[in-house]
Amino acid sequence: MPIEVSHLSHVYMPGSPFSASALEDVSLRIEDGEFAAVIGHTGSGKSTLVQHFNGLIRPSQGKVLVNGLELSDPKTSLKEVRRQVGLVFQYPEYQLFEESVELDIGFGPKNLGLPKDEIAARVRQALADVHLPEELLQRSPFDLSGGQKRRVAIGGVLAMEPSILILDEPTAGLDPRGREEILSLIQGWHRKGRTIVMVSHSMDDVSRLAERVYVMSQGRLAMEGSPAEVFSRPDELLSMGLDLPAAAKLRAELAKKGFALPKGIHRMEEIETALLAFFLKGGAA
Amino acid sequence: MLGDITLGQFFPGDSPVHRVDPRMKLLLTALYICLTFLVKDFIGYGLLLALLLFCTLLSGLKLKFMLRSLKPILMIILFTFFLNMFFAKGDRVLFAWRFIVITEESLYFAAFMALRLVFLILGTSLLTLTTSPIALTDGLERVLKPLKLVRFPVHELSMMMTIALRFIPTLLEETDKIMKAQAARGADFDTGNLLQRAKAMVPLLVPLFISAFRRADELAIAMEARCYRGGEGRTRMKILRLQAVDYLALLLFLALLAAELLRQRLL
Ligand SMILES: Nc1ncnc2c1ncn2[C@@H]1O[C@H](COP(=O)(O)OP(=O)(O)OP(=O)(O)O)[C@@H](O)[C@H]1O
Ligand SMILES: [Mg+2]
Repeated sequence: MPIEVSHLSHVYMPGSPFSASALEDVSLRIEDGEFAAVIGHTGSGKSTLVQHFNGLIRPSQGKVLVNGLELSDPKTSLKEVRRQVGLVFQYPEYQLFEESVELDIGFGPKNLGLPKDEIAARVRQALADVHLPEELLQRSPFDLSGGQKRRVAIGGVLAMEPSILILDEPTAGLDPRGREEILSLIQGWHRKGRTIVMVSHSMDDVSRLAERVYVMSQGRLAMEGSPAEVFSRPDELLSMGLDLPAAAKLRAELAKKGFALPKGIHRMEEIETALLAFFLKGGAA
Repeated sequence: MLGDITLGQFFPGDSPVHRVDPRMKLLLTALYICLTFLVKDFIGYGLLLALLLFCTLLSGLKLKFMLRSLKPILMIILFTFFLNMFFAKGDRVLFAWRFIVITEESLYFAAFMALRLVFLILGTSLLTLTTSPIALTDGLERVLKPLKLVRFPVHELSMMMTIALRFIPTLLEETDKIMKAQAARGADFDTGNLLQRAKAMVPLLVPLFISAFRRADELAIAMEARCYRGGEGRTRMKILRLQAVDYLALLLFLALLAAELLRQRLL
């Protein structure tokens, strides 16, 4: 079942001089099995929004419905919500705390009250899901490399076997190779049928992976649509402090030089095919 | 998840109370504390209350925030109140049941001591609510300067305080984030008996300590990279100078102190 948000608003520290409105009247719907991306300038409310999806922040105004569970209802079991919706925070490696990788990944399943052998099975599965070798199980998570730590942390969330996986800037601070690895893992989980919500600052990643893009600006949902729709409105994106994917920029540059490629192109492969079609048609500069 | 920590939280503003020199504020707070201990009856407390209300109104703070600072120590106040009520000596018995005896004098004494605590907290909260931590440690360093003569590391102490204060909000933010991250993995910080709750803190405390040590390390390196070498020969960007408002405030406090002393003499 989908994630449905209607008229959601959130104010941090209401009633104090530091009160900050982080979300204003946001409504959206993320379908089952969809790969959704949330983009927006720093401080636009992306993290605040996604923290509503698993009940870390209870909606104070508006409604959030996840898999049929009404999160604004105080009777809704948060444990159940968190079992179904996994949330990987920005820099998740800072939440590692156990003596061994095995125990740390097992923390979530243990909190769900699963039996020992089930926990062990899930830990192994999660480790395989993040492509780490089993030798690491007994190592201390603090002895691993940065990229490995991040994968262990993500594994800790996967071990809860959520049907919806939310990732808040999963590639922040990783080197290009580490980024590619994490992104292809995420893509793999999506192919297996999970709903993915990814917060990202990288327009290239979004254009390549996402099926639907939500653009946040100053706490409001400023735009939504397929990557082609969103990235064909460059002026608005630029005015919100956002950028375009490299391919969309290339398309704009080519258009200036007289190569009129169709609007909405945002992937390099698309540029390739469009250019080919352009030349085959006999167009010239 | 962490919201209502007011004790020691600074509320920015530009009122006359905010503008008083931090050194003067420390002196005035000391005077105020003396005054709370000098007061011997409820009329004296009336005087203190008037002073406190006047300063609060002038500062533009909401009364609600002042009162909120009492919350963390409410238990201590209540505890002292009941302790005094049951165990202070007196003659005129109001209530007696087995070993519990409440007398008129003990009730009076208990209320008096509880109020003293309340006034102490409110007064010092006004100081921390209207003075930025940086200004406060700056003022403290100046006030404590004479201790340098006996080789007391005044500058180092105030630098340590500045850094500690600077990192309180950061650590709170970090705590909030780690709590949320662990809650997302099903951690439960709010239910269970004492032992279970203490155990539930481990996933919070371990990452918190690690990040605190990491930050400390980074800060030390950053300071050394900018040639920090302690207080010797260090000049200041902001030099504190006493203004008219400082002298006025001092005058007000001294006048009140004199009035209270005079009143006690005459009675
Ligand atoms: N715990 C908090 N307390 C008070 N204000 C907060 C808190 N968290 C966020 N805010 C404020 O809410 C607004 C939205 O923050 P949020 O973290 O959702 O932004 P974001 O889009 O995730 O930004 P970034 O890209 O930097 O992660 C910001 O103005 C921020 O200052
Ligand atoms: Mg964020």
